[in-house]
Amino acid sequence: MNLKRFYGMTLATALSVSMLAGCSGNNSNKEAAATNAPASGNAATASAEPGKDPVTLKWALWDWEATAYYKPLIDAYKAAHPNVTIEYVDLGSTDYMTMLSTQLSGGADLDVLTIKDIPGYSNLVKQNHLEPLKTYMGDKSIDPSLYGGTVEQIEVGGEVYALPFRSDFWLVYYNKALFDKAGVDYPSNDMTFDQYDELARKMTSGSGSEKVYGAHYHTWRSAVQLFGILDGKNTVVGGNYDFLKPTYERILKEQEDGIVMDYATLKTSSTHYSGVFYNNSVAMMNMGSWFIATQIEKVKSGESQSAEWGIVKYPHPDGVEAGTTLGTITSLAVNQKSKHKEAALDFMNFVTGAEGAKVIASTGTIPAIKNDEVINSITSIDGFPADENSKAALNTVQTYLEMPIHEKSADIEVILNEAHDNIMTKNASIDEGLKDMNDRVGQLLNN
Amino acid sequence: MQNETLLRTNKSPKSRLSRGLRDNLVAYSFIAPNFIGFALFTLVPMIFAFILAFVKWDGANPMKFIGLDNFTRLISDTTFHKALWNTIVYTIGVVPLTMIVALALAILLNQKIMGRNFMRTVFFFPYVASLVAVAAVWNFIFSPTMGPINNILHTLTGIPLEDLPRWAADKQWAMFTVVLFTVWKNMGYYMVIYLAGLQGINPELYEAAELDGAGPWRRFRNVTVPQLAPTTFFVLMILVINSFKVYDIFINLFAGADNQLNNSTRVMVYQIYNTAFRSLDYGYASAMAIVLFLLVLGITIVQFRGEKKYGQ
Repeated sequence: MNLKRFYGMTLATALSVSMLAGCSGNNSNKEAAATNAPASGNAATASAEPGKDPVTLKWALWDWEATAYYKPLIDAYKAAHPNVTIEYVDLGSTDYMTMLSTQLSGGADLDVLTIKDIPGYSNLVKQNHLEPLKTYMGDKSIDPSLYGGTVEQIEVGGEVYALPFRSDFWLVYYNKALFDKAGVDYPSNDMTFDQYDELARKMTSGSGSEKVYGAHYHTWRSAVQLFGILDGKNTVVGGNYDFLKPTYERILKEQEDGIVMDYATLKTSSTHYSGVFYNNSVAMMNMGSWFIATQIEKVKSGESQSAEWGIVKYPHPDGVEAGTTLGTITSLAVNQKSKHKEAALDFMNFVTGAEGAKVIASTGTIPAIKNDEVINSITSIDGFPADENSKAALNTVQTYLEMPIHEKSADIEVILNEAHDNIMTKNASIDEGLKDMNDRVGQLLNN
Repeated sequence: MQNETLLRTNKSPKSRLSRGLRDNLVAYSFIAPNFIGFALFTLVPMIFAFILAFVKWDGANPMKFIGLDNFTRLISDTTFHKALWNTIVYTIGVVPLTMIVALALAILLNQKIMGRNFMRTVFFFPYVASLVAVAAVWNFIFSPTMGPINNILHTLTGIPLEDLPRWAADKQWAMFTVVLFTVWKNMGYYMVIYLAGLQGINPELYEAAELDGAGPWRRFRNVTVPQLAPTTFFVLMILVINSFKVYDIFINLFAGADNQLNNSTRVMVYQIYNTAFRSLDYGYASAMAIVLFLLVLGITIVQFRGEKKYGQ
């Protein structure tokens, strides 16, 4: 009786701790998929002949609705390859890389994969989900130097597993109407951190619903912490983070003085950076070049009320050349277990190549292959700011990747994000937060 | 009864056995669909999770057996300790408060008052409302500068907005806010359970107590409370288990667009999720899950013992 009861209790508890089951449910699926997949992969490669049989490719991506270039790319490709149908699988932008890795481990039949960030990329490489591309690039004589050094930066063990199709970098967006109203000169293409800080303080005014914040930092770690790497002396995978102290001091001071919005409030309210820029609450905002296309479109649709706007180069530390900025690449890869590998590679080649770059540039987005033609195509888009400074802002001299490739970059990123969040919400002092980064990343690197 | 014995003696022992077997088979066939589902999606994965706790595995490359390493790692993992501590604080905050509020509501709404059914619906509503939606509304209400709560407090007390608590955005007030939210969200459900319990109490007990001169408080102490003991134990157990596996509420209230919790709001299940699916460390995550499992199992055993002793 007692034993029975104990058994019943165990079972009841087991049922209620369903998280445990949730985790491992996926795991067991994964194992099954891993053993199944090679067989089906072999069977399918023979039948995949681009240009003849009808093929349906599945493309994993995020934010289908909000992204301007997905559909034009598919249309352009289909015009040349009428036998290929491309279906998209929208995995959402929150936790996209986690979703993708889980889907692939579960044996999802995705063919073309969009790679959102470097840590996620290095995880997928470690898990053997991505098709190595060196041989294919040799066959199709794809020249890696066209990508401005980014392909070399994502090499793992002498092999490349993805090709970039977008290459974004950080800029400062500003609201001309607010500067005019305050009678302050527009920001310039050559600002040091101190000048940027000074300008932000000058532009802060009002209170309540009339409040204008001089600057705005979105809740991403990259929007604040990475000012610290622009002098080129340190990296975020080095294991020592003491060099970030001045950056944090500056930003927290701005937050305390009400120059920028409070991080914790922005986070709990999930405030999107575009919203505060659209409704004229911020004078300047540091953000990636991906926002150019969105802002142009939203001004046209009337959703963005900051119709008078401009862009300038990223602020930089003293003694560093203007045009030094942060960058991030978005790439395409092919699922190693894809049933239509050849067709998938061909589509990837199209999107990441010169033809794809033209299509992407026509939507106001900066492609990975960035030549004069592409730049001209973007600056001549209707709605792009007309002033010379905004056009010149698109020229960069040095771009540091937000996250350099590192075997453990995914784990490092988790630690840095947590510590950053603790510092910005004042859960930890700057010193405590930096010590936490040093300790935990150090431990990770030594393992 | 007699007929049945007659019937049985008429049959040969062999067919009697097979009839028993047949009955059993019929019974099993009724249970089977449910049990197969349970075995496939819960039992087998659970056993698998126990195995995972002793290996190092990223979901793709071969597993490596590492013995108890995952568990020894837990001992010095301060992030995990913080998550465990936060979960315990949350449980201690939520459980008694929910029980008190739910019981009080149940007693009030068990009286014959006007609009009783309407009020019951009102208090039950938060429980059925979508978590994502109500969490968004709460975040707006508790917004430090724009939310009505702080603006009302500001008008009433004259304390400047900057000095008022920043609720969900404040490390000191975050836990308080989430406890308040959980109690409000779930009180309706436990109120209904208590109402059922109250209606199961024999009214004669109250009459007898009244005849003996017991006032309202005595009647509550000496009739309602003991009669409700089985209900209370049930509510207590479900509440504790649910509090330990909390995840969705914290994610919706605190995580923001990038789905991350910080030191003051990190809970165990979040930590398990993070370790498994973001850091791809399934073995270590399973070790954490087992600690959670043992904790809940331990508490359940203690409560079952308590129920046996005091319940009836």
